Amino acid sequence: MARDVYEDFLRLTGFEEEEMPEYLPEWRKASQKLGLTEEDFRFAVEKQLPTYFAVELEGIRKLLGCFVKETIDLTRAGDYKERGVKIVYGILPAVLHFYYALKLTAPDKVYVSFPDIFLTLVMNGLFHKLAPYLEEAERTGIPYGCRHCALNKTRYAARRLDIIPSPDISWIWGFICDEGPKTDEFIRLYYDPRWKTYITRLPHDQPLGTVEDEVASRVEYLARQMRDGFEAAQREIGIKVPEEKISEVIGIWHRYADKLSELARLMTADPQPLGAISGRLFWEPLFCPFNTGIEGMEKALDITIREIRQRVASKEGILPEGAPKLLIYSIHPSVPWVAKIFEENGVGVPLSEFFILTKKQLMPPSFDDPYMAAAEGWLRTSAMVNPGYQSEQICEKLETHNFDGMVFGLMDFDRWLGSPHRLLSRMVEEKTKLPVFYIEGDNWDDRDYSLEALRTRIESICEIMKMRKA
Amino acid sequence: MNILEELAQIARTRPEKLKEERKKGTKIVGYIGRFVPEELIYASGALPYLLCRGGQPEPPDAVIPYMLRFMSPYSRSQIGYHLLGIDPVVPMLDLIVVQCSDCHESRLADLFEYFKLPTVRLGIPPDWEKSLSRDYYHKELARLTDRLEALTGNKVTEQKLRESTESINKIREILSKINLLRKRRPPIGGADFIRLNHYSFYGDPERLLPKLNDLYQELQKGGSPFPKEAPRLLLAGHVVGVGDYVVPRLIEDSGGVIAAEFLDEGMRHCQWQVKTDGDLMANLGDTYYLERTPPSIFQPAWEKRAETMKGLIRDFNIDGVIWYQLSFEEIYDMECAIIAKEMGKINIPFLKLESSYEYSREAMAPLTTRVESFIETVRQRRV
Repeated sequence: MARDVYEDFLRLTGFEEEEMPEYLPEWRKASQKLGLTEEDFRFAVEKQLPTYFAVELEGIRKLLGCFVKETIDLTRAGDYKERGVKIVYGILPAVLHFYYALKLTAPDKVYVSFPDIFLTLVMNGLFHKLAPYLEEAERTGIPYGCRHCALNKTRYAARRLDIIPSPDISWIWGFICDEGPKTDEFIRLYYDPRWKTYITRLPHDQPLGTVEDEVASRVEYLARQMRDGFEAAQREIGIKVPEEKISEVIGIWHRYADKLSELARLMTADPQPLGAISGRLFWEPLFCPFNTGIEGMEKALDITIREIRQRVASKEGILPEGAPKLLIYSIHPSVPWVAKIFEENGVGVPLSEFFILTKKQLMPPSFDDPYMAAAEGWLRTSAMVNPGYQSEQICEKLETHNFDGMVFGLMDFDRWLGSPHRLLSRMVEEKTKLPVFYIEGDNWDDRDYSLEALRTRIESICEIMKMRKA
Repeated sequence: MNILEELAQIARTRPEKLKEERKKGTKIVGYIGRFVPEELIYASGALPYLLCRGGQPEPPDAVIPYMLRFMSPYSRSQIGYHLLGIDPVVPMLDLIVVQCSDCHESRLADLFEYFKLPTVRLGIPPDWEKSLSRDYYHKELARLTDRLEALTGNKVTEQKLRESTESINKIREILSKINLLRKRRPPIGGADFIRLNHYSFYGDPERLLPKLNDLYQELQKGGSPFPKEAPRLLLAGHVVGVGDYVVPRLIEDSGGVIAAEFLDEGMRHCQWQVKTDGDLMANLGDTYYLERTPPSIFQPAWEKRAETMKGLIRDFNIDGVIWYQLSFEEIYDMECAIIAKEMGKINIPFLKLESSYEYSREAMAPLTTRVESFIETVRQRRV
């Protein structure tokens, strides 16, 4: 009898035999909706997953399983909508407390998702098959040549291809780039008049070096914007979230974040015990709400921490002991081969700067009000603030985790997050005297910057790092 | 010397004039963007200088060691000339006010600060329909006023603000009158009207005003340099920078006439006057932020902008639209698709041109062919 690659895929992603009858038909149905073929599954099972994800670890398999369950759920969003469940979208980066609080308040009445980042991760990270979505967007109004963000194209294409329904409200956080929020305006005017949006924005007007979380007027303005947006979203879908639900979410978030800090600490052990991509997956629920919740991921994280502790204790690593390690601005499982090339060349990129926390971020908020606390937290985050303050935070992270250097780049599609990297490179290098590199590339979409195109650049960086450390 | 050439001469010699004024103790304030009111700068006793250059490929390239290359060549140009050592004004500026309405402008402000140029940012929330955002802009104007007062040592009094507002209103009024002459067979084309707008930023109002009035009289009396059958075109997009005249000139050299513009920057937006009674600061904020057509970055904006364009097409009897876009301006790129669709609905020919300020001979040949073909198509539809 021929192998069933769908079943093989589910086994590889942590599903138990007794779960198969329930999930196998659902997964087949979801795959069909996403445009995935048997060939795509064969590729995922035989190549993509074993190459880039530590599927030998139970925790990683279970984590991948959470992504599969969320994918199935995403493809059901249209059915949810027909049943009267309110559909709420957002884009990253956002403070997820509000989205999770909606879910916590009315679990059966609301569906929350950031469909673009989630689909990008699943389609490219697990199947390397995001291109048809991107091409759909490029054919229909978001042209290829302007270096538009793959996430925005994916959100638009997912709607066009009827993978996702129109939202009851897409509460868009425009605290970073301009293109994210404007894409929602584009979708509504160009394709789907039912694509309802509420926009929340913050001007980038703070002088270099301003410690933004200490500027009271800025924290207050951002908090008011957050409150205004969240109230609008609640009004739109008719669900009132008590403030204690937000506090409850913050508690869950902190518990998960504490465990992530432990994982981050383990990831920087010498020798590096786990590949960067496998580790990075655990950060996803902090930046993209899972309608299926984070409990499954927390369990997977507990298992992984146990497994990695064992590796650290037995000095088992994916790299030789003493290998150079670089802090990378952001690495994402959507394009998993970037980290892999570093690792194949004897250099670790165990953590993404974007996702690790400074000492200040780990401190409790100065405010009881959940909006003020969220605003302060946002303005304590390196990627959200002016490059002067951002570079200070990056330098702290380099020192805390004892990195040998840093890699910026891979964000060339983002006119906010990606645009200051060359400047940041100079600032960080001037301050730390560590080697700092810049790679022009794209974290989500590898059609332009293919593996072969970037290999030479990455190999050169690795050579330099090994020579410096020799 | 004709009046346009006289105005050009005033604009050309503005840096020298500013240098002289600076020697006498007058502060010179550079500014970037349509949300920075010149009225405030004049009222503080300083002299304004609009940073709005464009049209050459080297200045944006000079910024690449410090910034992502997929950023607007227009924004990059505003510091690129300085980095190349060929900007006569930026080094002598006492203050540079940068509006921060989008990522391109904010990153430009980062670079000004990195290079230790005296910079102040003016935050512009793009979610303009909220009272929260309107209040923010008003507060930003108050903050800018404080900064200007500290710089010049002068108080921005109601009297001074009224005078400067009235003075700029007069410039707007006369430009508006000249613009409206183009509703009939245009006595002045878009290439010159855009230049005229530029010149209007680089001279003292009391010197400019009589010349603009003379020009208006002359244009009113004179005929049109364009043949009757010349297709009437609307030039739309972000900005035609000072010096970026290749495309407008090419359009008119190819047999078309730019009868109207729809550009967010580098133009006076002269149909809106700032009220000079009541709370002047509030008037300034309301006109600049709320009353004018929202720029592309505002949200929501595109539906309203499409309607405004349709109004221009109707009022100025437009035969076709040329969308002039600068490379990597992601918001205008998306808006272009919306506008193209809307133009399709009303059966107006639409051409998208994209520029990275690369006007070499190799680049000009295909550009010329596209413009000529478009104008020919539009002309054939007219007959």
